[in-house]
Amino acid sequence: MASAQVAILALVVFAPIAWMIMASFKSRVEITRFPPKLLFEPTLENYRQLFIRTDFLENTVNSFVVAGGSSLLGLLLAVPAAFAISWHRLTWPATLMLFARMAPGALFLLPWFIMFSGIGLSGTHTALILTHAVITLPIALWTMLPYFDAMPRELIESAQIDGCRPHQILLRVALPVVVPGLVVAAILCFIFSWNYFLFALVLSGISSKTAIVASFNFIGEGVTNWGTLMAAATVIALPPILLTLLIQRRLVSGLSFGAVKG
Amino acid sequence: MNSGAPAQSAVSLKWMILPALLFVAVMILYPFAYALWLSMLDYRLGQPERFVGAGNYVALARDPQFWNGLRLTLVLYLSALVLQLILGVALGLLLHRIEVLKGLIRTVMVSPFMLPPVVVGMMAIVVLDPSMGAANYLLKSVGLPSSLFLASTDWVILTIVLIDTWQWTPFVALIVLGGLQSLPIRVYEAAEIDGARGWRRFVYITLPLLGPTILTAAILRSVDLLRFFDIIYITTAGGPGYASSTLNVYAYRKGFEFSEFGYASALMLTLSTIVFGAVLVFAQLRRRLAW
Repeated sequence: MASAQVAILALVVFAPIAWMIMASFKSRVEITRFPPKLLFEPTLENYRQLFIRTDFLENTVNSFVVAGGSSLLGLLLAVPAAFAISWHRLTWPATLMLFARMAPGALFLLPWFIMFSGIGLSGTHTALILTHAVITLPIALWTMLPYFDAMPRELIESAQIDGCRPHQILLRVALPVVVPGLVVAAILCFIFSWNYFLFALVLSGISSKTAIVASFNFIGEGVTNWGTLMAAATVIALPPILLTLLIQRRLVSGLSFGAVKG
Repeated sequence: MNSGAPAQSAVSLKWMILPALLFVAVMILYPFAYALWLSMLDYRLGQPERFVGAGNYVALARDPQFWNGLRLTLVLYLSALVLQLILGVALGLLLHRIEVLKGLIRTVMVSPFMLPPVVVGMMAIVVLDPSMGAANYLLKSVGLPSSLFLASTDWVILTIVLIDTWQWTPFVALIVLGGLQSLPIRVYEAAEIDGARGWRRFVYITLPLLGPTILTAAILRSVDLLRFFDIIYITTAGGPGYASSTLNVYAYRKGFEFSEFGYASALMLTLSTIVFGAVLVFAQLRRRLAW
């Protein structure tokens, strides 16, 4: 009984996604045919149009650069911070990060816009990586904290007695223990940076435009060919969906800033 | 506290927080102060800026579009929150009872809220297209009148509420599922002996025990719903007219379509205050409910 209900609900949840993927392989006529045929002749024409007629390939590369760069930057800043916060049992830095996460992103956009223009960084990948690190840093910090908290204190204390310097303790003793946490944090950072829309909408230039913003522009340009639109949607949906499969169990706790256990 | 900790304080790791703090200072605190300053200026593109103090906030209180935006923000927030909490708890209870295909079901439930908002917006545009979309085909085939959905002044906010509910109800459900799995079994055994079953058991035992979990979900959804921007801007850009210009969207339009930087900053800060206020209220409630 419960299983049947869940199956129906799962279908409702998944139907629009299935619709999107199928439409990306359909011809212009086939997409608006009702009732839709489940068995249709798939075509790669939409993808061909997308990658040949537009700069979508370059945009996708930009997305990888920005998401990868900001994940790396976020982790580089967050991991030592989380280690120290956990060791000294501080609470205020994590609260400060929560504040950063709760403020509407648009609040920072105007100041950033003016700041980046002032130092000639507007429209660059660097500007996007820096702003997206505002998203990734709190995520990485809050994901790493429980892993460091769970680490036995004796491990660190004995390393200190052995005369290790703090950065050696972090690199050689602590990090190997929290590798699972690092993986989860890196994946969450990448997904969130990849998906993020607002900052790149305003701050990206022609050469740094992300696939997310390019797809949004397709809508604005009135690309009436839904097949191409759905092909673009499928391409940008792929990395987050694939990465999600790797960390499903940790996902909800990662998204709730430690408020929910996985 | 670990009794050994004070003795170890000779080796301080606190400097390891510095790079992150420096980053926060440059990228968040300074821009925040800057936005505060901007909100006190009459600052438009192509005009010399002028200090007006609280002038923007006075103008805001007299701006009908501000009140429209506030109304839309609250309507969207409250209806989506209530809908998602009710459906999320129901779905969570269902998920708790299934035995088979747990992994697959979980994957399906997780996928909507991991999708980029742009993808959700694009799907909505195609599926909800008034003349060629699948939604109107389905409505007509069961004998219901078709709808303009996102193009309708009356229905646009409700349509956006439904889109967000599709995307985030599974998230609430998975939080509730986590809460259900950590509930003490002994309470249920005792309730069984006292004869509490089905609906009564849910109302008198499960729901109160789930209180803190539901509040956690409410906090997380509140932060996102009050500053909801992406899908609205992607699907309607705040239109038709101002029919979906919630505070965040209205502030964005003022800042980046009309280049009224000072006024937009005042709007943004007002919205931030509302978000922090809501979170504080919920956090207080949660503290009182914790057992």
